[in-house]
Amino acid sequence: MPEEKLKLEDLISEKAKEVEQGRIDYVAIIGAGVMGQGIAQTVSAAGLDVLIVEKNEETLEAAKAQLTESMKRDISRWSLTESEMKAVLSRITWTLDLNEMSDCDIIIEAVEENFQLKRMLFKKMDEVAKPETICVSNTSTLSLTKIAEITNRSDRIIGMHFLHPVPKIPLVELIRGLETSDKTVEITKLFAAKIGKTAVEVYEYPGFVTTRAIVPLLNEAMHILLEGVAKAKDIDTAMKLGYNFQTGPLEMADTMGLDEVLAWMEQLWSTLGEPRYRPCPILRKLVRERKLGKKTGEGFFKYDAEGKIIN
Amino acid sequence: MKILVLNCGSSSIKYQFIDTEIAAPLAKGQVERIGMMSAVLTHQPAGKEKIRIVGEILDHKIAIEYVIAVLLSPNHGVIQDKNEIDAVGHRVVHGGETFSGSVLITENVMRALKENIELAPLHNPPNIKGIEAVTIQLPNTPQCGVFDTAFHAKMPPHAYLYGIPRELYKRYKIRRYGFHGTSHRFVSKRAAELMGKDITELKIITAHLGNGASIAAINGGISIDTSMGFTPLEGLLMGTRCGDMDPSVILYIMGKEGLSIGEANTLMNKHSGLIGVSGESSDMREIEEAKAANDKKASEAFNLFTYRIKKYIGAYSAALGGIDALVFTGGIGENSTLVRKDVCSNMDYLGLKLDETKNESPKGEADISTDDSKVRIFRIPTNEELVIALDTEEIVSKHLESLK
Repeated sequence: MPEEKLKLEDLISEKAKEVEQGRIDYVAIIGAGVMGQGIAQTVSAAGLDVLIVEKNEETLEAAKAQLTESMKRDISRWSLTESEMKAVLSRITWTLDLNEMSDCDIIIEAVEENFQLKRMLFKKMDEVAKPETICVSNTSTLSLTKIAEITNRSDRIIGMHFLHPVPKIPLVELIRGLETSDKTVEITKLFAAKIGKTAVEVYEYPGFVTTRAIVPLLNEAMHILLEGVAKAKDIDTAMKLGYNFQTGPLEMADTMGLDEVLAWMEQLWSTLGEPRYRPCPILRKLVRERKLGKKTGEGFFKYDAEGKIIN
Repeated sequence: MKILVLNCGSSSIKYQFIDTEIAAPLAKGQVERIGMMSAVLTHQPAGKEKIRIVGEILDHKIAIEYVIAVLLSPNHGVIQDKNEIDAVGHRVVHGGETFSGSVLITENVMRALKENIELAPLHNPPNIKGIEAVTIQLPNTPQCGVFDTAFHAKMPPHAYLYGIPRELYKRYKIRRYGFHGTSHRFVSKRAAELMGKDITELKIITAHLGNGASIAAINGGISIDTSMGFTPLEGLLMGTRCGDMDPSVILYIMGKEGLSIGEANTLMNKHSGLIGVSGESSDMREIEEAKAANDKKASEAFNLFTYRIKKYIGAYSAALGGIDALVFTGGIGENSTLVRKDVCSNMDYLGLKLDETKNESPKGEADISTDDSKVRIFRIPTNEELVIALDTEEIVSKHLESLK
């Protein structure tokens, strides 16, 4: 089949192509950790082109392998097909160069929770990105307003808090900084809808909605265990059957990582200052023993390599 | 009349520009990857070479603009002026209970289409977008909607109701709708013509076997039952869909494997059928190759496929109170001699005898039954675009007449 030399544009002479304002077609994601990979998969599956920026060749290759591996797991669980996986991977470009983000309509930062690192990245984004590009942080702990201060586009800085595993959780919390504009919120909401997420608008506040409500509940389940009210397995069974939890609170804590849960409780405790956020002593004890949950094979329960509880 | 027939998907538009006087397309093509920077338009004027154009096409409106532009283009076009497009016919997937035939698009029709979105959330919105795009590009050109479901809209309640609380039918319109209606209608009509009989006197079973597959019982030209139901998942085994199954199976799997609703949906729609049973392929040609090489799983998938069709033929013969003709159509129905042979084997008791030589005959319309077969067996290539064009012509002519 001959590839037509003429461009589409030539077909229509007085073509009035009005690009709708705030259209998102090309998305950059900085950081290819578990969250970055999940966001990339979700965005690409929605048919958008994705650029992933990593810090070095080694982590980039590892991330590529992990993403493929995780999608292969989905295929084996019948939630994805081979051709869908190929399509997703074909729309993702990998790079080590932050300057390549210059064409992107939205840039999502998903690196570790390190304030200095994030500030550095936002400064760089501000320099290389188009003026209208929206810069997003996936932070769940750091102040967006403070991150925004370093840029010249504080009205186009917003937070998107995705939950793990990103492709499967249909929710995203949109976090407004002090200076985030209504237009930025509007465009980001449309973007969220486009990638299949329901957006809940929240204000900058420790833990937003999801973390704030769930982590203290996990902590409470640990207190129930500590006080000898019930055994770990029975606490989970009670909550699963009693309140339709897909996963019991203790297993959920093990899934999140007990060090993460502890960090969260400490964050809530220190910022909100109320005793109800005091981390449960068992949590501290397990973290001290490096029993961090599924990732180390043991937390409140013991796990096999596939993350299933060993009875 | 020269009619532009459009089949608008979420990121693609297939088109044929049909001259109804010669009942053939003057040009056809498609736009793929709508919404992306690298959209592709493939266009083929009749009898000429196919061309391919790559560029940015951000939405359906722009895509339609390009389709019209390429039809007008000096090198590859087939018309000189937009006004040569007499009418536009759209394939619309779901007409719900509102539409039992093709209609002229009006504001009221658009409103009803939008009300049906919930029944076909994946298919109807792009269909609507296509209609809206044409309205902008060709504001004075009449448009028609031709529905996949419409031909089955006359099914009686005992065929369309499910055995679940009636309240659910009232609340969510949960009932059997059936699909591939345009194809079933076209091939049954052709069969009657080939038999030289009036379709109102005939009992016909039509098997549309493609990647999606359905079978219909047609009494006197009216579909009285069909194998697809509320969604195109019910009925025959398909390339990647499971078809009929005890509904408890999926609930059991969801519990055992901890699957979400979305995962269960993908399991039944994309990982089942020929590919799921064979573990090989969703493509019947590859299944047949593997079967020929004595692949046990592929053979079983093949048998499951043909056995399910056989069961439906039995059931529909009973429902119709007899059968005068059986029609095979769709990619598999038109091309697989093996499938037709297997389905028709051992059906003498019904008066169905396949002529093995005729069955092997090359492509095209053919009566493939033996001379002494009481039931005629046909292979009839489907032509949904032509049906859409002809329906559009009929409706638009009447409409123009009424304006005089």
